[in-house]
This record gives sequence, structure tokens and C-alpha cells, in this order.
Amino acid sequence: MSDPMQEIRASFFVECEELLEGLNDGLQAMDDGDRDAETINVCFRAVHSIKGGAGAFGLDQLVAFAHVFETAMDAVRDGKLEVTPEILALFFQCGDLLYDLVRLARDDQELEEDRLAPVVEQLEALVETEEEAEEAVDFKPMTLSLDLPGLAPLDAGDGEGDGAAGDEARGENAGEGDGTGPFEITFTPLPDLYTSGNEPLFLLRALAALGTAQTRCSWDTTPPLAEYSSATSLLTWQITLETDSDEAAIREVFDFVDGLCTLTITRGAGAPDPSGSAPKPDMANDEPAPPASGPGSTPPPPAPVPDTPPAATAGAAPLASPVPAAPEPEASAPKPEPKPAPAPAPKSAAPAPKPAAQPKAEAKPAAANATVRVDLDRIDRLVNLVGELVINQAMLAQSVAAADLGGNGAIASGLDEFQQLTRDIQDSVMMIRAQPVKSLFQRMGRIVRESASGVGKSVRLTTEGEATEIDKTVIERLSDPLTHMIRNAVDHGLEDADTRVAAGKPAQGNVTLTASHRSGRVVIEISDDGGGINRKRVQEKAEEKGLIPPDQALSDSEIDNLLFLPGFSTASEISILSGRGVGMDVVKTAIATLGGRITIASEPGAGTTFSISLPLTLAVLDGMVVRVGSETLVVPLSAISETLSLRAGDNRAIGPHTQVVQVRETFVPLIDLGTELGYSTPRQNYEGAIVLLIAQEDGSRAALVVDAIEDQRQVVIKGLEESYGHVPGVAAATILGDGQIALILDPSDLLANASGLSRATPKLAEIA
Amino acid sequence: MALRDQLRILVVDDMSTSRGLITQALESFGIGNITTAADGPGALQSIAKSPVHLVVSDYNMPGMDGLALLQALRQGAATQGVGFLLVTGRADNDILQRGQQLGMNNYLTKPFETADLKGAIEAIVGRL
Repeated sequence: MSDPMQEIRASFFVECEELLEGLNDGLQAMDDGDRDAETINVCFRAVHSIKGGAGAFGLDQLVAFAHVFETAMDAVRDGKLEVTPEILALFFQCGDLLYDLVRLARDDQELEEDRLAPVVEQLEALVETEEEAEEAVDFKPMTLSLDLPGLAPLDAGDGEGDGAAGDEARGENAGEGDGTGPFEITFTPLPDLYTSGNEPLFLLRALAALGTAQTRCSWDTTPPLAEYSSATSLLTWQITLETDSDEAAIREVFDFVDGLCTLTITRGAGAPDPSGSAPKPDMANDEPAPPASGPGSTPPPPAPVPDTPPAATAGAAPLASPVPAAPEPEASAPKPEPKPAPAPAPKSAAPAPKPAAQPKAEAKPAAANATVRVDLDRIDRLVNLVGELVINQAMLAQSVAAADLGGNGAIASGLDEFQQLTRDIQDSVMMIRAQPVKSLFQRMGRIVRESASGVGKSVRLTTEGEATEIDKTVIERLSDPLTHMIRNAVDHGLEDADTRVAAGKPAQGNVTLTASHRSGRVVIEISDDGGGINRKRVQEKAEEKGLIPPDQALSDSEIDNLLFLPGFSTASEISILSGRGVGMDVVKTAIATLGGRITIASEPGAGTTFSISLPLTLAVLDGMVVRVGSETLVVPLSAISETLSLRAGDNRAIGPHTQVVQVRETFVPLIDLGTELGYSTPRQNYEGAIVLLIAQEDGSRAALVVDAIEDQRQVVIKGLEESYGHVPGVAAATILGDGQIALILDPSDLLANASGLSRATPKLAEIA
Repeated sequence: MALRDQLRILVVDDMSTSRGLITQALESFGIGNITTAADGPGALQSIAKSPVHLVVSDYNMPGMDGLALLQALRQGAATQGVGFLLVTGRADNDILQRGQQLGMNNYLTKPFETADLKGAIEAIVGRL
């Protein structure tokens, strides 16, 4: 990224995304009935800015499209075009196309013209009649006499073109040479000064230490860059020094470079009479004493800035009011703040040879908001390191325990603090990766529009909790499952307009997407106000496809969950949306790989809600460390609702291989983890067995039998799938404090695959 | 010493891309004294702290557009004489006429080549 143009180009695309987001927000607001002029303006400006930037990078297709779009929006803005739902729909479509164009342009690609042409045609039709023949305005540039070189009457921004200020400035310089004022020092190093290793900056600093110095560097003799030679000395400094010291003291500063520079020291003018050159009182920011900067002119007398540190004085322009006591100039003088006051010409700015850098460096703050853009790789590296830190901390804690140092108060409390800090660091790092779901939700807006028009339904998307933040990776990987579910909601969930009206609902269907934080997890809900799941049909379909035995008595929730079975699709006719071979089982798997769970709630006639519950991060989890046989395993704490120790009679067999446990008033299927994972043979007696009660999102529960609970702690998730593929029942692995590797279980997967709990018989998922 | 060494320019644009592009172009002319602002109020603040000879401002900005900025500059005693170059996506009559009335020194239509920017500036301040 050394090429500045490439850098600007990259930032353009980032900016485009922000603008597109703004455009989408604006269109959404208009869709909600907002007709505020500023809302339309924001949309217009977004498109306009994209066009402007694209033009600079020669992205012709993007420019051309943005132009047509912008023209139509301009007509809306000017009130020449009324916003109708049709026009808004078109604008939304344009926004989507613009998004695609920007995406493609980033990779130096273009969109197929036949995707653009019909939209462009519609846009042009909107404003066809509005086209007006503009005649070129006869605009003649107004020149500005800057009068810069040599005279440089630039003062606080109004000097140019303002003869009075310039004259004033020169008038002030006229008071020089009466021998009572500050010293005027001209210092020109000879080449030997540099070759002998002297540094002018140190001399200037030493000089400034004698009193109040105003230092200007002039490079009038500076040739073009191509003619630079390291063997020549080009710079001359002019210092106005207000000091109590005498000339000898000044010469002393230059003692070591005697013969290596040309040095002139003169006694300059006394402080000028402020009344004589005072600016008009109304010129609030006028500067009474702009400096002369040419080699021929004598610098003006210094401003007695009281007690200003040398560095600041050097940076400050010699513009401060000469006599602070005089009322008028004081009012007009800039505040003597440490920030460089209006420095006039660059040559007077700083003792450093590159004064130009100074004003530029301070230029940014107005524009900068308090964010930085960081390469994702760097953050991931940090995340990894924090993961290592967590492991390391656990190891240390274990070593301390092993060495029996736990009783030492200092070590114990130090370790506690270390643990707390580790967790804080971890949370902070995870927050860096977190992003609001807004961008994801906005993309879904587009999916709704496209799906709805694809099946000829009128659908609006309502979003809530857009500011909810989740790990960036989770957001990225949610896009596909969410897209599929939104399509399903539009395609299958919502009825057609006639059916809706007949049912007493508004013709327009509603899909709501919400995100919220709930007990350490993020819950995303996709709900529609459609007809709800047709359970009779779902069961029939499942039977037809041989997924379940016929005539089974299934609960509502069990029927709903049939949707997640592989190969299940209720779409009796294959629409353009579904029929892509992607079913809800794929969605479920995708969510599960994110450590998430998905559940359905449906009410006939009122709609269906899918809830996805996700961990905040993919990097760590709070786990319960358990022992099964000789193995140590980790069960995600979020899956465990309680732990119990079985008493005699708590469990009972309901089949040759099926045991249930009575937990208060309900029966919960019992799964012996050791048997399930092949670590041990089934035990004969469950009395005294330790049980983890697993509660799933859909309300189903199971009792996992383990040999012992060892610990409860945060573990770093190390993915296994890259090396081993998906292992049923296993989510990932982790490294424990003693360096041992432990598998992290995936309870839902485990339960779904558990013997006696085959997918085809969800009936057993819960026996109540 | 050339004009470009002394000329102080403030670039105002709400898009950081545009600020970057214009700054880049100005630097390529050898102008080193460039400050930037992201909007009109920011520009006025910046100019009060650090005066400039010339303002190169975008027209289309949220809140205060380029011409509103020009008007504010012309009304300020300290800034009324500053040069003003308006960069606009469309130079329609209305903008140019209002600009002219407000004392706009020159304008430039986007997209522009680096040379166009130089020309537009030189038409105001003379050879860089």
C-alpha cells in the first residue's frame, strides 16, 4: 500500500460502503413515510459522492449508473418527481445495483449491461421530461492578488486582497533599527558545519533558551529538488530574540561553529506603537504584525509572548500582538495558546528544515473521528495471542497448585488478579472483533425485496436491534443461513395477498429481523406474520418421504422440528427461490458450526419465528471440565442448566437401551457419555452418578452422565474440522492448563446423534 | 521562491476520498501547506486557527454546502478575502450564479484531471 493512489482507492471503497449504508437507511426511512428534505438529500448525496469518487478512479460504469440514479433523485429532491411506492422500489433496486457495481469495481470488474439497462431505462423515463437544456453560465474566474514572494502580507487569512492589511504590515516593519529592541540574528550554516557533525537545531534551541526567540527559516536560495546536492548548504535562519543577555552571550552559542557559518547579529527595532498600526477593531482575527519573509526585508520585531516555551515560540508565528496591554490589538491578537498561532509563510514556521510538515500534521483533527482502521489479520493475531495467554494463565494456576503455593496469600491474590486481567483483556479484544449486525440486516433487506418480487408478494422487512454486536466472523457466516431463512419466510411463510386479506391481515406481509443480547449470547429472530407452519402438511410430507413412520403422534414442537431433517422441503411447487437443494438442515448445521442453536415457534394463522442463539465469540467459551472414563472433556456451560447426583430410583428404564431420569415432575432421557463415546461400557447402576442436565433452545432436555466434574473455566476453542472434519458430538478441542488436550462437546449434536435418539424419531427427544 | 511554497490551502470535502485526492494533487504541484476539513463548520474552525490563502471546497456536503461555506467566509472579517474554489459535480446555472454573487473565485467540475485543478487554482492565484 505504498502507492498513495492505491491507498486512496482502497479508502474510497470503504467510504462507499458507508455511503451505501446511508443510502439504504435513507430509502428505508422514505419507505416508512419520511419525506423530510434532508432524508432525500442524504440519499442524493450518497449517490453523488460515490459518483464523484468513482469518476476520479475512472470507474466509468459506476459513474454512468450513479449519474442516472442521481438525476432521478435530484428530481425528487427538487419536488419535480413525487415519491411513489413504485419509485421507491426502483430506488431500492438501484441501491442494490449500485452496491453490486461498487463491489465489482473494487475488483476491477463490471456488471453485465443487461442487468443495468432495464433499470437505467426506467430511471431515464422518470426524468425524461425534466431534462432541461442548460446553457453554460459565463463565469469568469476572479483572480486574487496574493503578493506573496518577498512581501508576504499573508496574515490571518484576510491579508490577501486586502490592501489595508498589507500596508499595515509593511508599516509596522518600518520601525526597525533603533537599537533598543530585540536582537536580529541571521545564521547561515556553511557546508562544513554539517560535515563536521553540527546540528543547527541544537544551536537554535540554545539560542531560544536565552529568551524568547522567533525563528524563521528561509530557503529562497533553494533550487528545484532535482538540483539538490548534499554538499551545499541551502538554509538560512533568521531569529528575532528578545533577551536580557548581551550580544556576547549570543555569540557564545555559536562558539563551536565559529568559521562554519555566517552570522550577523544586530539590535532590532523597539516595540512598535500598537496604536499606530492597529487593525480595525472589527477585524477580530486580524493579525497586526505579519512577518516579512523575503531575504531582503528585515523581520518584524518579536512579539513578547510571555513565558512561552521555546519550542512553542519557534512554532508560533510572530503575529501576536506586540503590546498585550494595548486594548485594541489585544482583542485582535490570537490567543497565545501553545498551538502554533496562524503561521504566515512556511519559512517562518519552525527551526526544523521542513516547516511544511507542521501545518499539515495538525490539519487532520477536524476530519478525524475517533476510529482507526486495522487490518483484520492483526486483530486475529491478537485474538490468538490472548488465547495463548488464557491457556498460559491456566497452566500457571495449575503449576502454583501443584507446587502447593496456593496458601501463599501474595501468590494467590496475584494469580487472581492475573486471571481477572486476562479475562478483561480477552473481553476487550473480543470487542474489537465485534461488529453491529446492521450491515448484515441491510443485506437481508435486499433479499426480502428480491424474493418478494420473485414470487409476486408485497413484503416489508422490519429490523430491530441493528446495533447489537457480534463477532465479525459470526456475522459473515450468518449471511448464508439468514438469506435462506428470509427467502423461506417470504416464499413459504407468508401467504399471498388474497389469502392474507381473506384472513383479515394487511395485504403486505411483514418479515421481522431482530437481534438482541440474551444472557451472554446473541439471539437473532426471523419472524413472519404468515400463516404459520401447516403441521398437518409437514407431517404428511415427512411420512411421504419416509422420514418418519406413518401415523405417529407428534407434538407441535416435534412436527416443527421435522423441518430441520435433511431432505425435507414443504414447497409443493418449486419456486425460483427454493428448490436449490438447500434445506433447513443445512441452515441448522451452519448455525451449529457457529456454536449456535436454532429453534422454531409457530402459531397457526399468526406466523412463524425462527430463533438463532449464538455465542458472542468463536474464540473462547465458558466450559465445565468433566471426566469420563480416562478422558477429560469440556461441556459448554451455556448448555448446562443444572447438575445433579442421582439417587436410587431417580432413573428408570423405558426400553432395553433407553433410560430416563426423573427431574422434579418431568422425565428426561439419560445419556451415558462414557458409553455414547465408547470410553466405557454401560453401567449397571446409576445411583450416585453425576449428571449434567442439558437444556436445548427448543426446550428439549437430556441428562448426561459423567464420572466426575473437575472444573469450571474458560477454555480457548481450537478448531478440529480443518484436521479431522466434523466429528459427531464434538465441537472443537482445547488445551487445558496442564497441556492436555480435551475435546469440547457439542451437546445438541451429541443428543441428536445419541443412540435411541435417532433423527427419525424426534418423539424421544423429550418425554414429559 | 515560488508561489507554491508559500500558498496555504484548505481542502474541504465530506468524503475522505476526495480530500485525499485533492491533497494528493496539490502535493504533486509542490504545495506543502495543505490543511483539510470534513465540513463547513470544521473549515471555519480550521481557518480561524490556521489561516489560508485559498479554500478548495466541495459543493455537496451535509449541513453546510460549499456555497454556504463561501457565504460564511465572506461574512467573516478575517476570512472575507480568502480565495475560494468550488468543486462541484454539476456546474448548473443556479450554483454558478449564486457562487458569482457570493464572490466565488473559480469553480471546477468533477471529475477532473490533476491539470484541471492546477489550472483552476492558477486562474485565481497566478502561476504556481
